[in-house]
Amino acid sequence: MIRIEGLTILFDTFKIVDLNIQIEEGGFHFLLGPTGSGKTLILESIMGLRKPKTGRIWIGDKEVQGLPPERRGISYVPQDLALFPHLKARENILFGIRARNLDMQIYEEYVQALVEVMKIEHLLERYPAHLSGGERKRVALLRALAPKPKLLLLDEPLSGLDPSIKVDIQHLLKNLHASFHPTTLCVTHDFEEVYFLGDGMTIFIDGKVEQVGKRDDVFWGPKSKKVAQFLGAKNLYRAKVLRNEKSSQRLILGVNGLQVSTPMSLYQDKMEIGREVDLFIRPEEVMIIREGKFVKDSLKQNIFKGKILDITDRERARTVYFQTMEGKILFEISIPNYAFRNLDLSTGKMVRIALREESLWVMA
Amino acid sequence: MTFRYTMIGAAVCIFVFYLGLILSLFYFVGGKVFWEALSHPNTLFSIRMSLIAATVATFFAVIVGLPSAYALSRFEFTGKRILDTFLEIPLIISPIALGAAFLVFFNTPLGELIQNKGIFFVFEVPGIILAQFATIAGLATRLMKASLDEISPRYEAVARSLGSSPWQAFYRVTLPLSFRGLLASIILSWAKAFGEFGATVTLAGAMPRKTETMPIAIFTALASANIDKAIVLILILVGFGLLTLYGVRLTGKRFRYD
Repeated sequence: MIRIEGLTILFDTFKIVDLNIQIEEGGFHFLLGPTGSGKTLILESIMGLRKPKTGRIWIGDKEVQGLPPERRGISYVPQDLALFPHLKARENILFGIRARNLDMQIYEEYVQALVEVMKIEHLLERYPAHLSGGERKRVALLRALAPKPKLLLLDEPLSGLDPSIKVDIQHLLKNLHASFHPTTLCVTHDFEEVYFLGDGMTIFIDGKVEQVGKRDDVFWGPKSKKVAQFLGAKNLYRAKVLRNEKSSQRLILGVNGLQVSTPMSLYQDKMEIGREVDLFIRPEEVMIIREGKFVKDSLKQNIFKGKILDITDRERARTVYFQTMEGKILFEISIPNYAFRNLDLSTGKMVRIALREESLWVMA
Repeated sequence: MTFRYTMIGAAVCIFVFYLGLILSLFYFVGGKVFWEALSHPNTLFSIRMSLIAATVATFFAVIVGLPSAYALSRFEFTGKRILDTFLEIPLIISPIALGAAFLVFFNTPLGELIQNKGIFFVFEVPGIILAQFATIAGLATRLMKASLDEISPRYEAVARSLGSSPWQAFYRVTLPLSFRGLLASIILSWAKAFGEFGATVTLAGAMPRKTETMPIAIFTALASANIDKAIVLILILVGFGLLTLYGVRLTGKRFRYD
């Protein structure tokens, strides 16, 4: 178990206040924040390269705050990897084992297994200058893992890679984690990485922790507008509680004249009439109803008529920009290409959309 | 194309200017007298003295300069800017003034104490080394700092995380990575010490077979109208200079790790 408590860092214009992170043994935790939010500073402080203003760090039962970096047992893969250019891949990988004077025979089998999982047998005698971007990432990851660190710190591990190589490295990271279970803290600004790899995450915006939780809980239920916006949420609206329908256990929200029905189970707080809230629905959860098709009960509550303003083509899906007739509310709708082909949609066409109640998220 | 030719023409002019200057020396070189001047014990002494003094002065400049360069390159500390500015003092003060300052210093109680209890500098060989050291220490530090600046501190950060102490990270990672730049800095500093005249002559004097380095020997040869000796020494000095530059050029070749 890794515990970071009350970490406060003041450096130049950066101010990071009261950061708390807990990572279970073998967990893969993400620290997610916008670019330039001081994520690397946090890693450097955890590693011991920078002295935080306050804060305590435990690795297992041992508090490491007062220890120099070399005695913390934390390996670090920086964004630029910093592979030692004067050493071959093999020497880079064995650097930590040699620096710690560990018994090479004990580690040999483990390192060999790592090399096999990372598929880099053929690269071991090369210097970093003769490796591709993806190959360097693999060697850097292996170098960090070879001395069996108690905590692995990754700084934007998938940045600067071609899309196809990025996918490869993502899979490798996943395999690596599944095979060797290194306790990992990874900082990134890319939610896609989190979605593929993470169990838990801490969302960190403007120097403060905004939300901590399991990947899906944060993704589907951002606690604040700030988090929702950071996660790239579209369809975010300011709404007002209009009335409380006790018989059906629903709250009716008004969004610029449009009435949206939401189940009361969505609310943790008490919602009094007139209260202002943020309403959010992901673009892939908005459905366009095919005329003549049966509509499920869960969709019947929120059906709105309107016009398609524009359709744009993405790699695997189309984005449809739709405006309701009532209230002129704009929705961004994401439709997979195979579904799009069956819908016969075009710009200017009048259609009906449905918002699934369970997919609506209300932030007080 | 006029623009291009003007620019290249200027570069060629500088080359011709220096080459012409060097070639003009050969006008006065006459076979026998030339060899006599070269093999004269005083000439050989000044060559040997220059080589030894410059090497020892460079050694001390590196011993002090490398850690200083590292500190200036990697750490933030109070007074860093002032310290950094002071490195340029030998570059802006005339060498004679520097030598004179030493003479004054060795006449202060502290200076006298040093000379009485330990080493004699004024008009002695250690004076040559001290004068050359004073001239190049700042430069050597500056040049080595520039080489260390080129190496990302991230390498050391990773080495530390992998279990290296700060010393180990320095000699296993930073030193090998900056080795060529450091070597070039050392060669240039050595060349500067080798050609040093003003501070050396002021502090150590110009005594043949005692404190006479090559630049001083050139000066005394000219003063006594011994043109052959002066030219021999100038040519040797130029030869060493060109070798040094060639050495620096070699270190500048990017090492391909393959």
